Amino acid sequence: MSELTTVEQILERKSHAVTRNPEQAPSHDIREALYELEAKGEIVLHKMPENHVEVMTKFGRTKRIPIEHTWHHKSCGQCGHIPGYTSSIFWLHRQFDLDYLDPTDQTSCTGWNYYASATSNAAAQAAVMVRNFAAAYETGYFPVIHCGTSYGHYKEVREQLVHHKELRDEVRRVLDKMGKPLVLPEELVHYSEWVHVMRHKFAEKQTVDMSKITATVHPACHYYKIVAEDAIYDPEIYGGQRTATVTGTLQALGINVADYSTWFDCCGFGFRHVLVQRDFTRSFSTLRKIEVMKNEVNPDVTVTHDTGCVTTLDKSQFSAKAHDRNVGIPVLSDAQVAALAMGAHPFRVVQFHWHSTDWRPFLDKLGIDWQKYWDEFQEDLDAIRAGKKSGITWEDADKPVLNV
Amino acid sequence: MSSNKVLVIGGGPAGLEAARSAAELGGEVILLEKRERLGGTPDRENYAKLTHHWRDASEAMAELADAATNSPNVEVKYQTEVKGMSGSVGDFTVDVEVGGVAESLIVGSIIVATGFQHFDPGRATQYYNYYTFPDVITLTDLEKMLREHKVVRPSTGEAPKKVAFIQCVGSRDRQIGNEYCSKVCCGIASKQAIEIREQLPDSKVMIFYIDMRMYGYWENEIYWPAQEKYKVNYVKGVISEVLPKGDQLLIRGEDTTMSRPMEVTMDMVVLSVGMEPSAGTRAIAQTLGIQQNKYGFIESGGSGGLDPVATSVEGIFVAGAAAGPADLDDSISSAGLAAARAVASVRKALATA
Repeated sequence: MSELTTVEQILERKSHAVTRNPEQAPSHDIREALYELEAKGEIVLHKMPENHVEVMTKFGRTKRIPIEHTWHHKSCGQCGHIPGYTSSIFWLHRQFDLDYLDPTDQTSCTGWNYYASATSNAAAQAAVMVRNFAAAYETGYFPVIHCGTSYGHYKEVREQLVHHKELRDEVRRVLDKMGKPLVLPEELVHYSEWVHVMRHKFAEKQTVDMSKITATVHPACHYYKIVAEDAIYDPEIYGGQRTATVTGTLQALGINVADYSTWFDCCGFGFRHVLVQRDFTRSFSTLRKIEVMKNEVNPDVTVTHDTGCVTTLDKSQFSAKAHDRNVGIPVLSDAQVAALAMGAHPFRVVQFHWHSTDWRPFLDKLGIDWQKYWDEFQEDLDAIRAGKKSGITWEDADKPVLNV
Repeated sequence: MSSNKVLVIGGGPAGLEAARSAAELGGEVILLEKRERLGGTPDRENYAKLTHHWRDASEAMAELADAATNSPNVEVKYQTEVKGMSGSVGDFTVDVEVGGVAESLIVGSIIVATGFQHFDPGRATQYYNYYTFPDVITLTDLEKMLREHKVVRPSTGEAPKKVAFIQCVGSRDRQIGNEYCSKVCCGIASKQAIEIREQLPDSKVMIFYIDMRMYGYWENEIYWPAQEKYKVNYVKGVISEVLPKGDQLLIRGEDTTMSRPMEVTMDMVVLSVGMEPSAGTRAIAQTLGIQQNKYGFIESGGSGGLDPVATSVEGIFVAGAAAGPADLDDSISSAGLAAARAVASVRKALATA
């Protein structure tokens, strides 16, 4: 008999991470179906590069994340609204001389249409996805998806393709016209998974002390709720009870991650709300997320890993501020935080100037003389205006500049 | 060479009843139990009272165990695990380890009674923050407290003033693949609600449910007394989340009767966790080569669907919650039927040998 009291036994049980057995997973492993389709010659499977890392997913299965030789499926929203997100991802690769490809023939995933019920038909949206994967396959570089919406959307479309032969036949007919094969990658990989597996390497090259910073994390719904079994979980992070991405990265960089009660809630973007009910999005984002964080833990920054989440959480705050609500938390992606921690230029790389909530107090707390770097950035712009250069290049941005 | 022995695997309620019944029908029974004591999940999980006639659980389990062990036709092997099996009906060779020592048993038929386990609210992660908040507990956690007459909030050690039960945690849930109703949770939650009101008369108890499934006589034995005599509040609505609010818990959901969202603060939240196949049930299915259903329980029903104790292998039968969610009535009934089938199959095999 245990010597612990009943209450002690309950608390003891809660203090341990839950062990997960893939044999008891409530979902099937779609990769097995992919291998079967490959064996039948129905699809071409894009194989994982040799340089990869294995991680645990929700039900204890293993997922492989490529380290390099990757084809970067960029995000419309990131490139259009928060380009420092994308440039930070590439900058991080460059700091480790990792082989990556920034393709110019990638299209939108059309996921926003899908979630707003505006997509044309199942074959068209599946063909868009497969065309992108075929383009990656032709280069030999393995796709990594920057956008949470694309990542979630593609996982749903992959499910449709795997289970419906008639859809595969229709998509193959479309791709034949382009002379491309029906390709699916062995794993669908989100960039934040790459950030997660690289986090300790980032910490080794860290030049900015982040130990004074308190951050909240918003896990992106599209990343871990749509196809739940494919997201990374780690027994060491929240006892394996929440997805480990972002939180694991911040902890590796020495940031204090603070919890808040509405962590599970959507950022407000919704799947369609930002498109069809924008006022609802603004209210939800500020009153259910930002103000709750502010009231409960008053973080210096909130960090997330999706285009829609960064933009919604950041760019909604102006409206709540106009109503004197308790808001005002800068919002960054995990990649931007990691780049900043490794000394990336705040404007040439991280591009704070695209963020609308005041980020200056955050940089002040880190001891970063942001005015100096802003002046440098202004000089870049002057040179562009004077026709001395066409734009900012990696030559300007590669070198880490921060050391505080 | 045919054997007249019946092997019963599992010493819980179903296994004990199967052993007793098979022995009373003249069978020679070997009863295997993994632990060093009989009584199964009700014993291991320290059940207090049973919904079945409001009996004291340990007393009822002792009665079942005595009925089996006092029979001269029942041999009990404790700390025993099945490692392999070969042969067919009338002549099975079952390899076991008894206290770590290997042994082979020759038996004519087998009854699997390896039972269930309670759903772990962490298995599919973060069910109502069970692993985050000390005061979110499960039916089994509360059952122990009720047995000890010490119902307290784990966070403070003080008696709760407001307690909420959330039904269907790990049951009727397509997201995690457990689409089935676990049958017993509504009755047990109502029984526990009554016991809380008996032990803590000043407390308020609410049960949030999708449907209350009060099978058979539970309706008048438990459900109505809970409301009329013990003033337990039943609210039809799905709880979406449990959050902290000061030193209390805020439960948020929808009151579907009133068609409106609701928020209520509670001192303690009890998750009515459902049933899943036990690790022993999953393992024995593999070892014996009997089919499981999509949830991991033993597939039963026979070719016509009307033989609830038949498995996919002739001469191997299943009893109790190893075949799917079952209350004690179901378990005992199926155990009696499995015993009859097992003894009959041995006799048929001997007659044709």
